[in-house]
Amino acid sequence: MTFEYVIKDSLGIHARPAGLVVAEAKKYQSSVTIEAKGKKADAKRIFAVMSLGVKCGDTVVVTCEGADSESALAGMKAVIESNL
Amino acid sequence: MDYKASAQGVLDAIGGKENIVSAAHCATRLRLVIADNGKVNKEQLENVDGAKGVFEASGQLQIIFGTGTVNKVFDEFIALAGIEAGTKEDVKKAAASKQNIFLRLIKTLGDVFVPILPAIVASGLLMGLLEGLTKVIPGMAESNWYTFFHLMSSAALTFLPILIAVSSARVFGGNMFLGAVVGMIMIHPDLVNAWSGDAVNSAPVLFSIGAYSVRLVGYQGHVIPVILSVWVMCFVEKKLHKVVPEMLDLFVVPLASVLASGAVALLVVGPIFGQLETWVLQGASWFISVPFGIGGFVVGAAYAPTVVAGVHHMYNIIEQGFLSNGGANIWMPIATAANVAQGAAALAVALKTKNKKLKAMAVPAGISAYLGITEPAIFGVNVRYKRPFIAGIVGGAVGGLFAALTHVGASAYGVTGIFGILITLPNSELGLGAWNIVNYIFTILIASAAAFAVSFIWYKDEAPREKDKVYSPLKGEAIALSDVKDQTFASGVLGQGFAVVPAAGKVVAPFDGKVTTLFETKHAIGLTSDAGIEVLVHVGLNTVALEGKYFKALVSEGDNVKAGQPLLTFDAKAIAAEGYDLTTPVVVTNPDDYAGIEVLCHGKVGFGDAVLLAKQKESETEPTAQEANPA
Repeated sequence: MTFEYVIKDSLGIHARPAGLVVAEAKKYQSSVTIEAKGKKADAKRIFAVMSLGVKCGDTVVVTCEGADSESALAGMKAVIESNL
Repeated sequence: MDYKASAQGVLDAIGGKENIVSAAHCATRLRLVIADNGKVNKEQLENVDGAKGVFEASGQLQIIFGTGTVNKVFDEFIALAGIEAGTKEDVKKAAASKQNIFLRLIKTLGDVFVPILPAIVASGLLMGLLEGLTKVIPGMAESNWYTFFHLMSSAALTFLPILIAVSSARVFGGNMFLGAVVGMIMIHPDLVNAWSGDAVNSAPVLFSIGAYSVRLVGYQGHVIPVILSVWVMCFVEKKLHKVVPEMLDLFVVPLASVLASGAVALLVVGPIFGQLETWVLQGASWFISVPFGIGGFVVGAAYAPTVVAGVHHMYNIIEQGFLSNGGANIWMPIATAANVAQGAAALAVALKTKNKKLKAMAVPAGISAYLGITEPAIFGVNVRYKRPFIAGIVGGAVGGLFAALTHVGASAYGVTGIFGILITLPNSELGLGAWNIVNYIFTILIASAAAFAVSFIWYKDEAPREKDKVYSPLKGEAIALSDVKDQTFASGVLGQGFAVVPAAGKVVAPFDGKVTTLFETKHAIGLTSDAGIEVLVHVGLNTVALEGKYFKALVSEGDNVKAGQPLLTFDAKAIAAEGYDLTTPVVVTNPDDYAGIEVLCHGKVGFGDAVLLAKQKESETEPTAQEANPA
């Protein structure tokens, strides 16, 4: 399952929101990945998320795969929409 | 075989470069860490030309190519995959840490000398004893027993350049036997021995262009020229290995690298050092006659550094000069002061260090200096830890001052240190009275005491680095993470650790590892230690908004870093003036991989203090058993 989102935070995904995104992703069994600018990152690994270098206006694609992918997707959507 | 095709084959079989987390190689295998193992086609991988086997172990995908092949495939592989090559990084690192060239040279010197210390310590002690005995026992020097013992005592020092060359070749990653050859060239019996005094100046001239003349003089007792020449050899050897086809490798590479380094040694290094030695000789001859003890002070201080630089071979010309003019040799007592001071400084290290290996090395090295052989103390201990060497210089200067003020003289030359007492006996012809010997002993005591005191107070053991610890990347006041005025950090969402209110605008590497992420805004850096600890250092709160202003990065993403290497600098004053809180959280971002993260510090912390401990989970104490397989 995937959803797309255009980053609105003027600073992009910097340390603090990255931390929140990772903390949320870790709650689920499903694998969670974030894709941006052709790079793909495991959303459960903070350095991977930070290394994407996502900026304001970039489109990210979040993919959840696994047993609890539905609730994972909802959770990720919530945390990203409210922080980014 | 076509290395490039093999590398491309591997790359295709593992799902392209996007699927590589990291790549390395050992003697026989290409070792890859793969992001998604599902994308790896093992069968296709096994069929890659040159691949002798494929298996997964300790989280790595390993492909066996075999010695001599794997490195070439690896080079092609990283080029194709666009991964940073080690050499490229080295160049960058060198650029980033230019100010550290001196320190890196010292480290190289230590790396070269430590493995050969047993040989030169044995030699040094034996030689000192033997030379002493020949002064006590009449006729000893002419006996065959002298020759017998001299063989054993002098071999390592006579052929020191060969030992240094072999060790250097190992340090620089070249062939050790070729290294030995370079060492042998440099002290070949066909060259005039560097210790032969004036004869050096009448050595055969190969050619000369103006003031630049190449003489056939050996490198006996030299250190730096040998290391330099072997470095050239290894450089040429490694470069050629890459470009010369395998079939011609054995014909071309050893020949070219030995020829190149031999030429550099004799044509470039030799003349330069020869000229330097002449200048040092002139300088020393002038300084030694400066009155009021100043000359003794200067020579006593400068003596050990000239030994390190390897420009001290001509000093016995000065000693000869004094004696042939009918005076006493006033050089020897000052040289003694410098030598015993280095010994005393090493002994102070021996007394203070808790490192058993260093202690075991420093004691004989120090004693050997008292017998007149200083290489073990200077190169094995003092220069490596810097401060003891400076302490030795201080001792040499003070002792040299005393010797010059009291006009201590010797009646011969060739010995220094304790056995030097035997050539400072009263001698009416040279005007040496009973006080001469007393003052000589005082010279030894004063130089020793000064060097010992400075070294003992100043020398500190470097804290040994442990794999499960994080060392402070900053200097300042440590505070609890929960006291950070930022909810995300304080709540531990980003990881567990502590925070520093920085007292200096510099961030250094908290361990040996890799720069995993470096923000474009340069206010935060993520590193992964060689043992897998991930640490995020976030300078200041909300400083992302500065968009890089006041920050300077000294490394790039993907760089390998050594603990203590500077990573970022920032202008703390300016950032604070813009209203930002400079509190810098230092957190382990993968705490789930550990049983717990313990904070080891509170209050003031300095660069490199142990600050965090990542406690291993019980079940993972021996995760690398498979690594022990012979490759």
